[in-house]
Amino acid sequence: MFKKVLVANRGEIAVRIIRACRELGIQTVAVFSEADRNALHVRYADEAYLLGPAPSRESYLRADKIFEIARKSEADAIHPGYGFLAEREDFSAKCVELGIVFIGPKPSSIAAMGDKAEARATVIKAGVPVVSGTEDVGNMTNDDLLSIAPKIGFPLLIKATAGGGGKGMREVKSIEEMPTLLASARREAESAFGDGNVYLEKLVEGARHIEFQIIADTFGNVIHLGERECSIQRRHQKLLEEAPSVFMDEELRKKMGDVAVKAAHAVDYVSAGTIEFLVDKDKNFYFLEMNTRLQVEHPVTEMVTGVDIVAEQMRIARGRQLSYTQEQIELKGHAIECRINAEDPFNNFVPSTGRITHSLIPTGPGVRVDTGVYPGFEITPFYDPMIAKLIVWGETRAQAILRMRRALEEYRIVGVHTNIPFHQTLMDSHRFMGGQFDTRFVEERFSMDDAMETRESHAEIAAILATLVAHQQSERSAHVFRREERDTSNWKWVGRWERMHR
Amino acid sequence: MKYITTIDGQEFQIEVIDERHIRIGDRLLQVDFESVSGQPVFSLILDGKSYESFVYQGEEDWQVLLRGRLYPVKIEDEREKRLHAAGGGGVAEGGEFLLKAPMPGLVVAVPVNEGQVVEKGQVLVILESMKMQNELKAPRAGKVERIRVKAGESVEQKQTLLSVH
Repeated sequence: MFKKVLVANRGEIAVRIIRACRELGIQTVAVFSEADRNALHVRYADEAYLLGPAPSRESYLRADKIFEIARKSEADAIHPGYGFLAEREDFSAKCVELGIVFIGPKPSSIAAMGDKAEARATVIKAGVPVVSGTEDVGNMTNDDLLSIAPKIGFPLLIKATAGGGGKGMREVKSIEEMPTLLASARREAESAFGDGNVYLEKLVEGARHIEFQIIADTFGNVIHLGERECSIQRRHQKLLEEAPSVFMDEELRKKMGDVAVKAAHAVDYVSAGTIEFLVDKDKNFYFLEMNTRLQVEHPVTEMVTGVDIVAEQMRIARGRQLSYTQEQIELKGHAIECRINAEDPFNNFVPSTGRITHSLIPTGPGVRVDTGVYPGFEITPFYDPMIAKLIVWGETRAQAILRMRRALEEYRIVGVHTNIPFHQTLMDSHRFMGGQFDTRFVEERFSMDDAMETRESHAEIAAILATLVAHQQSERSAHVFRREERDTSNWKWVGRWERMHR
Repeated sequence: MKYITTIDGQEFQIEVIDERHIRIGDRLLQVDFESVSGQPVFSLILDGKSYESFVYQGEEDWQVLLRGRLYPVKIEDEREKRLHAAGGGGVAEGGEFLLKAPMPGLVVAVPVNEGQVVEKGQVLVILESMKMQNELKAPRAGKVERIRVKAGESVEQKQTLLSVH
């Protein structure tokens, strides 16, 4: 039974984990890079230790330093969050070796699911359907891949075997463009995961990305907490998630849920994990990959099931049984999460950095914000652009959308550009409201410019606002000028006064 | 003070009479205008209607973000307008194109050489920022003149990376 958890992460997820620990009366240890000295997770934790310079490679990816800090602070458990070291088999194995509880799955499960090619082979054996693609495990050369590609058929996807989060992923329409795309996919994978291996997969067209949250304890109990709809993506990065999916019915949910549980059993899974599926128009579904960690989008599942997934992870890691049986899991209402990224939606989503000077977080009924930033905090180019997650709950999907609209309009972040206007536009989109979208929707059938055209115009109000601000500014600079004039005359006046009284 | 304010080709004649009154066209309006805690967020109550928006000053124009919509705004006072009309003429087209970093980041690769002829859309620099690799492409065909960065270097936003002639 551990008493002190080291949180090997930063940002909103580190804050989320520290919150769960606090509620359970568990001590917390934060680690931070030089860029994160003032970060919220450092301020909230009971103890905090410096890891090193800002780049991840020299800080949050330094497993050796993290173990050193665990020893020094006598932390007896480590929660890796998501990203960084969360899906590194060697990190989890080293924890076991040092007698530290790793709050997550066993090293063997991470290994089996972490290598995407091996994961496919494993689930195929367990009778789980997969998208057709290269079945070979390990190092395939560009020549191998180029000769196999026509057999799989175009369009297809190049994916990083160590991958996740869309990094090292490229869509290929023809054999001609494949060599260039292979090179750039390998380069990106190499830089993101230190492993340039890639594999190929048939591109399922018109597909939705639907995933199932599962939790498993050390007694072999595995349950699923329903699905999350994650089709709203850009460059394979999720932007919005909701639960449940509008596309789902009870029968399909039961079928996919059973398959998800089966996949988890196949790797002897423990803790929280996610099985990602592609679902085509005809409701055929295919295993995509398993994320052997807590997901960014876990809050939408928490909102509709009432299960605190992080607290449940702690419970499982302490060697206790799951708090719920499958029959006790009921989906209530509808939840939506918008990922708030520091990027400019009016300028091709270019990342935006700078100091946050002002922040007003939406509150009120049914609203939850998970964030690691606050006024005065500096957004640096070293880490992920996601700075907050805005999550709402409504009794119905329609109510959730209306609530999200309200919350987005309330949210003020000053100092960096954010994609809040993108989400506002999305909330007004008829296709989104109607649930008619697939994973290509944002890139192919959604444009900020078109949406701007149809939005109600307040051009006159905007003109008045800008003019008043410009006027105020020129008045102010005129004032400064006049004050200087008066200052001069004041000095003259003092001079005269002194002469008079000499 | 009178201003000519333009949004999307639509001109608004706005006269700021005093702190509480403006005239737009021939309508006299009562305004209550406040900056929210000294930030670029502004609150405007116009004849009882309440609006809140971001107002930023860009390099050439102003940007107003109001109810999820971005308005690029051009503001001139009467004097500037006259000056512009007298000055006339446009900016010279073509010539040298400077590729600038759209964001701070790390140069991953520069897949072109000085003197190389490039096509429109060809990748000039690969820049990594916030864990994403971004391909910066040539906006038109030309010849790479001077490369000022190399792989492994960190660059600031708007820093010139190379030039194409």
